[in-house]
Amino acid sequence: MESLAATSITGISLDLLSVLMLLCAFACLGSKLFNRYVYYYGLQSVLLSAATAIVAYTYGRVELWVLAVLTLAIKGIGIPTMTRHLLIEKLELKRDVAVSTGLSTALIVGGVLTAFSYLVTTPALLPKGLVAAAVVPISTAIILLGALTMVVRRHTVAQLIGWLLLENGVFLGAITLVAAFPFIVEAGVFLDLVAAVLIMVVFVSGLGRRLAEASSGEMRGLRG
Amino acid sequence: MSTLILAIALLPLSGSLAALLGARARGAGNAACISAATSFGLVVWLVAKVSQHPHYSAFDGFVYIDGLSAFFLLAVSLVVLLASLGSAAYLRAEETSGDLTPLQVRLYFGFFGVFAALMLASLCTGNLGMLFVLIEGSTLASVALVGLDGSAPSLEAAWKYVIISSLGVTIALIGTLYLFYSGTGLHLASNLGLTWPYLYQHAGALAHQSLRLAFLLAVIGYGTKVGLAPMHTWLPDAHSQAPSPASAMLSAALLNTGMYAIIRFLAIARVGLGEDYVRAVMLTFGFLSVVIGVLFMVRNGNFKRLFAYSSVEHMGIIAIALGFGGQLGFYGALLHVLNHAIGKSVLFITSGDVVLGYHTRDADDVRGLLGVLPVTGTVLLLASLAILGSPPFGLFLSELTILRAGFAHTLWLPMLLLVLLVIGFIGFAKTTTSMVFGEADHPVQAYSTITQRRLAAAPIVAGTILLVVLGLWIPSPLHTAIMASIGSIS
Repeated sequence: MESLAATSITGISLDLLSVLMLLCAFACLGSKLFNRYVYYYGLQSVLLSAATAIVAYTYGRVELWVLAVLTLAIKGIGIPTMTRHLLIEKLELKRDVAVSTGLSTALIVGGVLTAFSYLVTTPALLPKGLVAAAVVPISTAIILLGALTMVVRRHTVAQLIGWLLLENGVFLGAITLVAAFPFIVEAGVFLDLVAAVLIMVVFVSGLGRRLAEASSGEMRGLRG
Repeated sequence: MSTLILAIALLPLSGSLAALLGARARGAGNAACISAATSFGLVVWLVAKVSQHPHYSAFDGFVYIDGLSAFFLLAVSLVVLLASLGSAAYLRAEETSGDLTPLQVRLYFGFFGVFAALMLASLCTGNLGMLFVLIEGSTLASVALVGLDGSAPSLEAAWKYVIISSLGVTIALIGTLYLFYSGTGLHLASNLGLTWPYLYQHAGALAHQSLRLAFLLAVIGYGTKVGLAPMHTWLPDAHSQAPSPASAMLSAALLNTGMYAIIRFLAIARVGLGEDYVRAVMLTFGFLSVVIGVLFMVRNGNFKRLFAYSSVEHMGIIAIALGFGGQLGFYGALLHVLNHAIGKSVLFITSGDVVLGYHTRDADDVRGLLGVLPVTGTVLLLASLAILGSPPFGLFLSELTILRAGFAHTLWLPMLLLVLLVIGFIGFAKTTTSMVFGEADHPVQAYSTITQRRLAAAPIVAGTILLVVLGLWIPSPLHTAIMASIGSIS
């Protein structure tokens, strides 16, 4: 029976970091305060940056070091600060009330999704000699939790955070492969980051309060 | 050859450049039209070249052209040309009437050029990571077009579009990651590993389980861009809120670009997993899309939404054709891609004229188009018949080919498709015929000057003539190009 257990120190620390990232995603899902969303997202990004740095150190890849620093700067500090200043303070967002299910239900569904991602990513599915095989199911779980956050929350800012969580999940999955991985995935993930910034600036703050105040649940103009 | 490919992809940017330098609708429109025409000319040349040299690759596979990409380049660059002509007329009229500010006009042409360039570029790369980057980029460029007029519904549509499409394309990225997992047993040398030709050559050696997941995720992910049901929800909103020539770009170029990405994954999955799995996936999504498209086409009051649901239906038909597979299925699918692209650009550009004339998107308020805007009315009638697959237009021929490909497998699936097409026909034709005939209750003027009128008529008349030509006869170079594309993926 193959297992997902890591053997090297790098592997174990990556596993640890990814578990912490998963907890951040759960914390976000279970929270009701906008401030907390941003806080947990920032924390998760810092952990992601640490994971990238570990991979960079192990494989001695310069571009990964750059990536780790960029992740810390943009996702760990930049986006959370911007969100706090541009959105949460300006729009005086405090409690998120536009939630379509109860939080406990959301958390239970989140648990089921995590179990599901372990079922899907069996050891047989994964390539041999992965530095930390357990990271793959965890990153899948983070992706699913991010999607769940987007489904459960109706507020546009909360949905945005859900999407950013999902991005972190994809990114975590990608860096475990990076030893053999071309730089293009990094570029791709960064393009998504640009996307996130664009979405945030253009839609939520730049284009006015109307949209930010309206939860997407109230967007009922276009149907049929 | 590399220069040629780069020129094709970069030329549409000249419209953006003109807009950036502060050109008005007229200057930017001219720049966009001239560059789109040049780009289209170069693509025709490229298609001719590709039929002699099956494929060309440079920069470690970052630039890769084969029959399939050449064919899709042909379809997309033709749409870009038609839409540029349409934009030039439409934006000039909007600028004159003061509906759009000069800044909005500049924004429009700026993003229009970037959008076109990114789509053309995504068809020219063999690197699957790069493909993801470019397709995601095209989403970002087109969002500004959807939300251009800044009103609440168009912002809502733009938000829905960007969030759903980005989510979809991210799922496609996960699919790409799994495709890479499936190839880890191979000796992948740096960037070569993610290039399509390399993976396609070694498709038989890819790990089955992850390839299965990769294909499914890619179909869902890029299917979001294509508008396959149930991921189509952004599509009618974005198409109805965007300025009409931009809707034409979304419907006829962007959806095809997504379909192109799916076909790339499909080609690998067919070799690696066999026909059955691929067929099951494509037929499921295909039929679901046709059913959803047809259901929403019946009694849809907003004509731009009607056209958008028709796009969902047609993308479903193409997915079904790919599912049926075989030489005939692929032939039908590719022919349908081209025909639908032309037909739908014509319809959307025409809808722009209607919006300018009647200031409404509600079909009930539009009467007597044939009397007040004769050219627009005639084209709308003909193009609706064409898009519904009646003879003698191109779509009749391609749908017939697809049905024939289906009958090679089963009897009831093509029959079901036929029934759905008939229901769609009735729903669609009812709305458009009531728009065309009757008496207009107030005077209507879409364009104020004769030049504008001529410019607006050019793309729609040319497109309609092309549709008739393609319905009567498939030119032998086109036949060669389609055969070359089938050759490159099977």
